[in-house]
Amino acid sequence: MLSIKDLHASINGKEILKGLSLDMGAGEVHAIMGPNGSGKSTLSKVLAGREEYEVTSGTVTYQGENLLEMSPEERAHQGIFMAFQYPVELPGVNNTYFMQASLNAIRKARGEPELNSLNFIKLVRTKLKALEMDESLLKRSVNTGFSGGEMKRNEILQMTLLEPTLSILDETDSGLDIDALRMVSMGVNSLRSPERSMLVITHYQRLLDYIQPDYVHVLSGGRIIRSGDKSLALELEEKGYGWLQEEAAA
Amino acid sequence: MSAALLNYYQALAAAAPAEHAYQAVGRERLSLVDLPNRKQEGWRYTPLAPILDHQFSAASREEGLLEPEDIVPLRVTPADHVCVVLLNGFFMPELSTLPAQVGLEVLDLEQAIQNSAAGIERLGSLSGDCLHLFGAVNAALTGAGAYLRVTDKLSQPVEVLHINYSFDSDVISSPRLLVQVEANASLTLLEQHVKFADSLNMHNGLTEIFLGEGAELLHPRLQNDSLRTRHLSSLYTQQAAGSLYKGTTLALGSAWSRTEFHLDFVGGHAHCELNGFYLAGEQQMQSMHLDVLHSVPDCSSRETFKGILYGQGKGVFDGNILVKKDAQKTDARLSNDNLLLSRDAEIDTKPRLEIYADDVQCSHGTTVGQIDPEMLFYLRARGIPKAEATGMICQGFAAELIAHCEYPALETKALAILQERLTPVAADL
Repeated sequence: MLSIKDLHASINGKEILKGLSLDMGAGEVHAIMGPNGSGKSTLSKVLAGREEYEVTSGTVTYQGENLLEMSPEERAHQGIFMAFQYPVELPGVNNTYFMQASLNAIRKARGEPELNSLNFIKLVRTKLKALEMDESLLKRSVNTGFSGGEMKRNEILQMTLLEPTLSILDETDSGLDIDALRMVSMGVNSLRSPERSMLVITHYQRLLDYIQPDYVHVLSGGRIIRSGDKSLALELEEKGYGWLQEEAAA
Repeated sequence: MSAALLNYYQALAAAAPAEHAYQAVGRERLSLVDLPNRKQEGWRYTPLAPILDHQFSAASREEGLLEPEDIVPLRVTPADHVCVVLLNGFFMPELSTLPAQVGLEVLDLEQAIQNSAAGIERLGSLSGDCLHLFGAVNAALTGAGAYLRVTDKLSQPVEVLHINYSFDSDVISSPRLLVQVEANASLTLLEQHVKFADSLNMHNGLTEIFLGEGAELLHPRLQNDSLRTRHLSSLYTQQAAGSLYKGTTLALGSAWSRTEFHLDFVGGHAHCELNGFYLAGEQQMQSMHLDVLHSVPDCSSRETFKGILYGQGKGVFDGNILVKKDAQKTDARLSNDNLLLSRDAEIDTKPRLEIYADDVQCSHGTTVGQIDPEMLFYLRARGIPKAEATGMICQGFAAELIAHCEYPALETKALAILQERLTPVAADL
């Protein structure tokens, strides 16, 4: 599904990722944990195609193709979805219109017929219900004036609508109360399937109680310094990152 | 050049049949006034060649040029609602829809003057005698236009359609609107300046609006003149105690456009909300001039203006709020936000507050920015191609303001025009 090899990336001349390698197979859920400043968000942005981040060396192959050559929209067309850590407010852009434009842009790129407004509304309503979200969110401007929890739910709503092949969740759990966390996890789990992979970036082990990963990786200093199964997350919860960083340095 | 143009307009005024006393004000002013020039504060940023390099000839009433069927597709209100059609400024009853409505009087201005209609004596009392050249031309040619008087709460909107379309080219039309909403009456007045033909012409309109105590006026305006038109609108409002004026002007069309707002309060607890949007691209110039006068206590006003500029488009925002010494407890806020889509686009923005009272809440702010890369990335990450994403951000920026029209058919029309104009621009960014 996704193969990252010796990836180096920098922003404003400062190198953040320093030789990161990661392999994800289809149907797998990988969690990436790590302290602040370790490069977690940079990784998600590089994968989504944020142009400010410069990839200086290394490769990223997605479904056999060079991901780094694709524009952000092409990545979305190929089935990549990033749930933003800080979703962006789009004043004046209606949320329903935005989601319909997004779904139809992807369908169009894949040569599938576009959904008309009526069919789209029907679809979005069923997804909304599953996430126990308020329908009023559909009438508002995208993320504008949304609470932190509403924004994150709105991200997951888009994810369940677009049914991505590779989902990247960038600290989706930060700032969520337990109910919102449960709801977000439910949305994510509903998408789990043998064809879909997920990269869950998180600070806390808590989210992994709800979204059980197949693999856990620890990112520190721009590299993965330890990989393991979900028990690694529990170990980190108990001992913190310090011991691993010391080990890596040694 | 300047003397020649002044002489020209003086002669134009002298040639018009002097039927009303109102014209004398204009004629007298024409003998005193200077041409607008960029040394004058109010014209400092406004390019003047498009209006001063032409000698526009006075419009005349042209019968039989249009048929009622031509009007229907131009309207945004239902076909059986009141619609006043002003062709080159002249009230055309055969093209208008004028069903009788309790509490509403709609008259050809010329006839209202001749018949001394109730309240007509207020004509010219807001615009006064310190008019600039084109204000003076409008006054000197007084006659074209309409008089609306509202004495009840009207449930149906009234539409005014301005059409500039003539057998002749280089025509200047000078309509005048007088609108009186009496105490506790209310009205929705939709004005449209529609693109009908692509001839060179000048619109030189002047509107005076009087709101009685507790009166309400919702006043959306869509200016979508042809891209060769020169458009000048001067709007004067006077609000009595407890009245509410909500005006939203969308300036999308014309080669050169200037809208002047003069807002005045004469009684306490009146509120004015004035919104404006301008789109200037290619070689267009759009300018907005606000002159908000708070001279009595306890009134509030909100002035919110936004613009999108692209190509070699130029925008001017010149907004002034004056709070006089006695206008305590005034609450006034002015803002102007601009989105620039090209290197050559230009905006001159100058919000000003002049405050002589000590117990007031006033603010002003202005921003000039480009497409936010965070917004663009968010949309692209959702699969929306860059051009379409850029268009959506622009539409959103404008939509927030356009929603103040509170008339969906007009909003839809404005957004469609915007989309048509901006789609090719976004594709080239």
